[in-house]
Amino acid sequence: MMRKLLWVAACVIVVCALAVASIFFGAFEKSVVAGDVDEPLTADAMAALAERGAYVAVAADCYACHTAKGGAPWAGGLPFETPFGTIYATNISPDKDNGIGGWSRAEFHRAVRDGVGKNGHLYPAMPYASYRKMTPEDVDAVYAYLMTREPMKVANKANALSFPFNIRRGLTFWNLVNLSGDTQAEVAERSAAWNRGRYLTDALAHCGECHTPRNALQGMKADAYLKGADIEGVHAPDLTKAGLQRMGFGPHVLSAFMKSGLSAQGGMTGQMFEVVHFSTQYMTTDDLDALSAYLFDLDALPADEMTPEMSEPAAVDAELSAAAKPAYLSLCSGCHGVEGQGIPHVVVPLSTNASLRLTNARNLIRVVLDGIPAQRFPGLERMQPMPGFAAELTDRQVADLVNWLRRKWGGQEADIGPQEVGQLRHGLETASAGR
Amino acid sequence: MTLTTVKLTLTVNGEQVGPVDVPETMMMQDFLHEYLGLTGSRMGCGQGICHACTVIVEKEDGSLSEMRTCITGVQWFAGRKVRTVEGHARRDGDGAITELSPVQRAFIEHFSFQCGYCTPGFVAAATVFLDGLKKKPVRRDALEQAISDALGKHICRCTGYVRYFEAVRDLALKTPGLVEA
Repeated sequence: MMRKLLWVAACVIVVCALAVASIFFGAFEKSVVAGDVDEPLTADAMAALAERGAYVAVAADCYACHTAKGGAPWAGGLPFETPFGTIYATNISPDKDNGIGGWSRAEFHRAVRDGVGKNGHLYPAMPYASYRKMTPEDVDAVYAYLMTREPMKVANKANALSFPFNIRRGLTFWNLVNLSGDTQAEVAERSAAWNRGRYLTDALAHCGECHTPRNALQGMKADAYLKGADIEGVHAPDLTKAGLQRMGFGPHVLSAFMKSGLSAQGGMTGQMFEVVHFSTQYMTTDDLDALSAYLFDLDALPADEMTPEMSEPAAVDAELSAAAKPAYLSLCSGCHGVEGQGIPHVVVPLSTNASLRLTNARNLIRVVLDGIPAQRFPGLERMQPMPGFAAELTDRQVADLVNWLRRKWGGQEADIGPQEVGQLRHGLETASAGR
Repeated sequence: MTLTTVKLTLTVNGEQVGPVDVPETMMMQDFLHEYLGLTGSRMGCGQGICHACTVIVEKEDGSLSEMRTCITGVQWFAGRKVRTVEGHARRDGDGAITELSPVQRAFIEHFSFQCGYCTPGFVAAATVFLDGLKKKPVRRDALEQAISDALGKHICRCTGYVRYFEAVRDLALKTPGLVEA
């Protein structure tokens, strides 16, 4: 009996080991790259594709990550702090030694859509789970465009990842769970604009990489698609129709906001400022309208703006007003105005500001504490820097101020406590602030 | 329309002010100009950028900090001690100036300003900076950068900053205990 059990146990162990080994060595990897890309593109085809590739690369926002601040264009080097260590974006200029100059068309397709590069598996900081949905034609176009860039002799930086995350092949496990074998098919009953918007959202602009929450395995949660997520200390808001309307966006305003970075709902900050700066400001109006139509689940933008119903300024209880209003009048109203109206071309309004309308208060708290640097938006718009008030206000005072703002102009509950402010002040991620 | 007012008490240049009724939305700049006749703190941009309106706030622990009066409401100053540009020099019993502060003297000796509009802000910034060095001296090789960091936000449109910079560096070097070897 004992002998038999041991045999069974041994068999189970061997089968498991075989399964793990076969995953590790890629037996279950699902490539979405078709065999026809093994055929190199002709020089004429490359030349013809490059111009469109420039636009696809802009829409996919490749440059923002693959160029370090102040670094050589396309030469990589931008650090990504992850819970597992630091990853550096790589050189994708066509330099033969450091970049992708020696990469074939097929190798490029496999890197972009399967996450398997010429030098091994990519980390999902490169959004290949989204780019997987790119059409082969668009990947060809980006390839052709990148090969027209100046080769940059800039060595790649070594990642600083802890074991076992430093083993690239380990990504086979992540890919098995998180990569779908399917690519995105057009939905026949929806309009071309809706389908284009979906393609932009899911494939090129890879919105879900930040705006869709991740599961325990760090994959995007399909059942919470675009519903907002905490990432790198801020909250990437809910981009579903309901979420956008809660922030005060209508489809036309959203489209214009992606172009300019500014609207009555506020200014783009943090990483979204960079997305506008490097990517969406250069998108065509048709594409931005398609993106907006898709997010609002419309086949086309309506003739008139669908302005969401906004609640009137809410009554704030007297005790909270007594605690917070003097602080608002003292430290905020000089620029944002007594009625939260802002100053056109200088300071964003608060009375219509999206940050006050989010259920999650994290962004508002962080801005009050840390401020926002001066920003140059497309079309000669400039927003002056906002000072941070971490040194002027206690956690209690920030909580009162944030509650008052959210209550008065955001229609939110006054439920932020000083402990949540304290945790954000000290840069701690908390479950409570991540509601 | 009636303005909602609040009772304000504070200390300005060593003297208690108030209690006085002020509109709750009033900016400190207007209070200094219109209620106290202290017009030295300049209205420049009105948006907190140029720093010509900066005054000093003396904290309870004795340290000094800068505050912009064009964008900071009067209520923030309630109970605090404020020093405007009028409060730096020594004065006699009649209020006549008998001795400029070291920073003011250095600015004059170095011809630091021409029109003088930004000067009250620079006097405040340099005074806060040098006061900080008394408690925490700066290494000699870090002095220039420290001055730039301290004065960098203040905008001057006449002299190009160099003479302000040189005045503060000169004063920091010749005042014992501010700069370490």
